[in-house]
Amino acid sequence: MRIFVIGAGQVGSTVVEALHHEHELTLIDLDADRLSTLSYKFDIGTIEGNGASRRTLRDAGIDQADLLIAATSRDEVNIVSSMFAKKLSPETKTIVRTTNVEYLDLWQERELDVDFVISSEVETAHAVSRIIGVPAARQTDVFADGQVQMVEFDVPAAADATVVGVPLREAVIPADSKVASIIRGDRMIVPRGDESILAGDRIIVIGSPDAAREWSRLMVSGDRVLDDVVVVGGGQTGVAIARLLIDQGIKVRVIEAFGPRAREVAEELPEARVFHATGTDPEFLEREKIGTARAAVFAMPQDAKNLYAAALAKMHGVPFTIGIVHDPLSADVFEQAGVDVAVNPRSVTAEEIVRFTHDPRIRQLAMLEGDRFEVLDITVRDESPLCGRPFKELPMTGSLIGAIVRDGAAIFPHGEDELRPGDRAIIFAESSRLQQVERAL
Amino acid sequence: MSSLRRRSKRARLGVDVWGALHLVGALVKYLSVAFILPFGVALGYGEPAWPFLAAAAITAAGGQGLEFFTKGKHSIGAREGFLVVSLTWLFGALFMSLPYLFVEPQLRNPFDAYFEAMSGMTTTGSSMLTDIPALSHSIAIWRQFTAWLGGMGIIVLALAVLPRLRVGGRQLMESEAPGPELEPLATSIRDTARRLWLLYVGLTILMIFVLSMIAWTGLDSRMSFYEAVAHAFSTMPTAGFSTRARSIEEFGAASQWAIAAFMIIAGMNFALLYFALVRGHLRKALRDEELRLYMALLGVATLLIFIDLSAEGIEAGATAFRHAAFQTASVMTTTGLASTDFNLWTPLTALVLVLLMFIGGSAGSTAGAIKVVRILLTARIMRRELDHTVHREAVLPIRLNGRVIDERTLRAVSVFVLLYLVAFALGALILVIDGARGAVDVSPFEAISAAATTLGNVGPGFGFLGPMGSFEPFSNFSTVVMTMLMWMGRLELLPIVVLLTRSYWRA
Repeated sequence: MRIFVIGAGQVGSTVVEALHHEHELTLIDLDADRLSTLSYKFDIGTIEGNGASRRTLRDAGIDQADLLIAATSRDEVNIVSSMFAKKLSPETKTIVRTTNVEYLDLWQERELDVDFVISSEVETAHAVSRIIGVPAARQTDVFADGQVQMVEFDVPAAADATVVGVPLREAVIPADSKVASIIRGDRMIVPRGDESILAGDRIIVIGSPDAAREWSRLMVSGDRVLDDVVVVGGGQTGVAIARLLIDQGIKVRVIEAFGPRAREVAEELPEARVFHATGTDPEFLEREKIGTARAAVFAMPQDAKNLYAAALAKMHGVPFTIGIVHDPLSADVFEQAGVDVAVNPRSVTAEEIVRFTHDPRIRQLAMLEGDRFEVLDITVRDESPLCGRPFKELPMTGSLIGAIVRDGAAIFPHGEDELRPGDRAIIFAESSRLQQVERAL
Repeated sequence: MSSLRRRSKRARLGVDVWGALHLVGALVKYLSVAFILPFGVALGYGEPAWPFLAAAAITAAGGQGLEFFTKGKHSIGAREGFLVVSLTWLFGALFMSLPYLFVEPQLRNPFDAYFEAMSGMTTTGSSMLTDIPALSHSIAIWRQFTAWLGGMGIIVLALAVLPRLRVGGRQLMESEAPGPELEPLATSIRDTARRLWLLYVGLTILMIFVLSMIAWTGLDSRMSFYEAVAHAFSTMPTAGFSTRARSIEEFGAASQWAIAAFMIIAGMNFALLYFALVRGHLRKALRDEELRLYMALLGVATLLIFIDLSAEGIEAGATAFRHAAFQTASVMTTTGLASTDFNLWTPLTALVLVLLMFIGGSAGSTAGAIKVVRILLTARIMRRELDHTVHREAVLPIRLNGRVIDERTLRAVSVFVLLYLVAFALGALILVIDGARGAVDVSPFEAISAAATTLGNVGPGFGFLGPMGSFEPFSNFSTVVMTMLMWMGRLELLPIVVLLTRSYWRA
């Protein structure tokens, strides 16, 4: 594919790094120095100019491009350049990076002529909330605006005995969920009724958010549901994280050191309790009993501060800490130093962008376990031969329909349900079966 | 020479006094148009019409004269606005009192006449009259009409209908409209003023229609078209003047219920009513926090009084409930009409009613007193301060209907509540001292109720100034004090109190 990337900042260069092997990239930025640095590192074309200028885009040959990724730090520049690109070359797909949740909402309401809108802040928040909402999960994915979740668990020895160690047909599986796969050592086991989940297995579950939470409760020993989270740093990332956690019914406290910003955050998030304080003041942490929180997220702009504050929070008794890292090298330092999880917004965003560069009919493509299994989010064609047949009659070799989204609502199908044209099916399939499934639907 | 002296004087002042007076003249002269209504009524009933003609002529000449003598280049800014609003109401009441002075024997005393005019304009409804039925139709309707004009505000009216005033008007309207914030209904102040007045006129016509229907269908034989008009004129502005000696007691239950309902409507935020009734956002309006608290307070007070009345055996059943509801609505909306003499009720009901006098209706209504939204915000400020004592670093914005209220407004609200209480305390003190000094025996409770009722623009107090009584026994000095309290209460203190500060006048 020919891909144009506007903006050679953090996100732009990460995307370039992720895509330059497979695709032909042209990078546009106003800063010649940045461009030359990247052009020595990767085999890409560079153009010095304004990505929001119609002439620059035309002269660069936007009509030849398959995809435009507008990844500057300025939302309006990204939207304008996407608009021009669409005007000059309607076939070109566009991805816009935004920091403003309002643009994301507008796009979801189809008010923006952009194929895909990605917000680093929101993506980071999603990553954190996945980790926090389902603490034992190794990797999770959401489909259909969060109505369907794919969750992967390492089954611990202490897991609930109603699902572990008994044949699946006797296990009490949470409603609206399915075990998609059991991975035992090198083997992948198709979860038939006579199979059972054992401690040490890795299982992949597909289901509603409630079911996913129920599963994580089953997987975690004792009642360790996270209900009280402290977010240190009230920047855009911190606010996005706090908002998402609040939406999940979690009580959130936000600590922001800059007074006016603390006020803004308090105004923006009525349900959160906002403090104007630094997360590194032991007296404050003691007075506000920060140690009672079940988890803390450190979303300040400096990695070093995040690390220090996380260590301090651990000392005060916060059991689970998540650090937002900006320098990719920090992640290892964080985890070495005892921070439970490190999340890098740049890689989260890049993952999301890379995901989109795949077949546009497949809206989201998650890779689990290297290339062994793939999850497809696919829209059923009208002429699909499988339409109108009950699920129990469908040929299910090496694949499983985890959920279908019909008219915006998620359905977790049972044997009697049928597939209809226009349904979005979320399918769990072995990589080797992928083509087959795509063709059938 | 004189112009030179004037200029040098102006140079030292930070306020363009002459400019303000010029605008006051321009506004006041149009009040002469208001006399057309009583003039027509006088002709219709064969009563002397000359007082209204004379008053109109004097008002026009006075306003025009003021405008003429203060001619020149003026700059009216936000600062002058306070002076304009304050003076317009002072002068307005003066000219409106003229017909009383000319023909009404009960109001021969100019202090009493001025009190009566101010009481009308500020929609208070306190009266110096001892024999209301003795009033001629034209004077009676004039008295009701002054209240109606003052209800939505004469400056708001001027902004709505007069040719351009050479000033933006926002400052003027903010000073006159009750409540901490002016809620714009349109992009221009002029259109906002127009919409408010249209709604006000519409509701008044509706009320006249409803009361007339009650009369016409025979539900209440004592109601008539004349009474319907007269009482709509005093209910919609929450004024409380009546044409009857014993207020609404003289009417039947149907009329009382109808009037109570319209009092409650008049005590609601007109901006909210506009959105609900004209734009159809009824559901949204019903979620308004001020409206909910307003209705809740009305409900609780009604229930309290109803239980008290029933328990004490003063009234029973539906009658008790009607009187409880009517008096609660009347006092809380600062109307002051009475369906019975609540003076004769228990100390508990008296206390409940006095407390309601301080709360008042909603912001943006025609009601007076502190206003429900300020009570609500003050409560939230208090809760925040308590929260802050434990959590020092917590940032706690205060919201109203989900919208954050900025700290400036919150400070203004706290200061207003404080100022209101100070004004009340000082007023009550002066009235008690003057009462002790004078020939009339004024008990402390009576004096306190007089200060509360005039400052809150309610109308009746307790004791001899009860709903069926009169303010006539007060000395001239006390009369002046209460007139000032009404004036300050109607303009919500700030535009007037700010005139008392040095920094206002300094350049």
